[in-house]
Amino acid sequence: MEKYTCDILGSMFPAFIKNPQSCHYQGQDDDENILLLLRAHPITNLPWILLSIFIFFIPLLVPKFILLLNLDFSFVPQNFSLVLIIINYLLILVIVYEGFLGWYFNVNLLTDKKIVDIDFHSILSKSIDVALLRDVQESTSHLAGIIGMIFNFGDVFIKTAASTESIDLKDIPHPDIVSDIIMDEALKNRGG
Amino acid sequence: MQVTPTQSVIDPLILTYILRIGIYILVIFYAIFALVIVRQVTLMTKTLITPVSPIVKAISIIHAGFAIGLAVFIMGTL
Repeated sequence: MEKYTCDILGSMFPAFIKNPQSCHYQGQDDDENILLLLRAHPITNLPWILLSIFIFFIPLLVPKFILLLNLDFSFVPQNFSLVLIIINYLLILVIVYEGFLGWYFNVNLLTDKKIVDIDFHSILSKSIDVALLRDVQESTSHLAGIIGMIFNFGDVFIKTAASTESIDLKDIPHPDIVSDIIMDEALKNRGG
Repeated sequence: MQVTPTQSVIDPLILTYILRIGIYILVIFYAIFALVIVRQVTLMTKTLITPVSPIVKAISIIHAGFAIGLAVFIMGTL
């Protein structure tokens, strides 16, 4: 299994896996092989990581604010405070777990026949876009922003002949390499 | 000059009741949410089958069990 990794984050949480072993998707044909498995770059998880770190410190900050504002909460029983602290850490657990699930299962797959874009937009919403490689007309990579430039991630837009809608692969690592691989595979599928 | 704490205009007993009801609602919603996560993870693991899928599913089930247990415990003790 060959992995294109350029940083520590990429090696800990692979977002660009070439020929992934023991990985399948719903609706995969028996003779179909996954060539590339792509996720958003791990750095895109930073917002929920920072949010959970902030919430982690709330129980430490609240008593200081109460003292600072000179509020009286002495009527609140001790076990209530304990429960509120437990709820606070449960909230962190949910943010971290949902954040990880959202990142881990929102994948883009390039097989030797298709391009599959699996998106879980929210808890109860899922969309799967499939395009045949032989219908791919154009693949454009787009790398923008300071963070995108530093960590080398961006978007790939794929235009197909079969539909008016295009497939967008968002925040994936090495968009230029992915775009190139897609076009090479599309040409192979068309017998070019 | 001696600083006195700010006095609440609402009866502390009523505030404690409101807080208790708020906590009950939170833990009940959390337990329901944990069950929805189990369903979501089941859908996700069916859509993308990876070696990590059984571990993720097991974590979601343990988490749901913990959330329900906590809801029962809090409603029983608070």
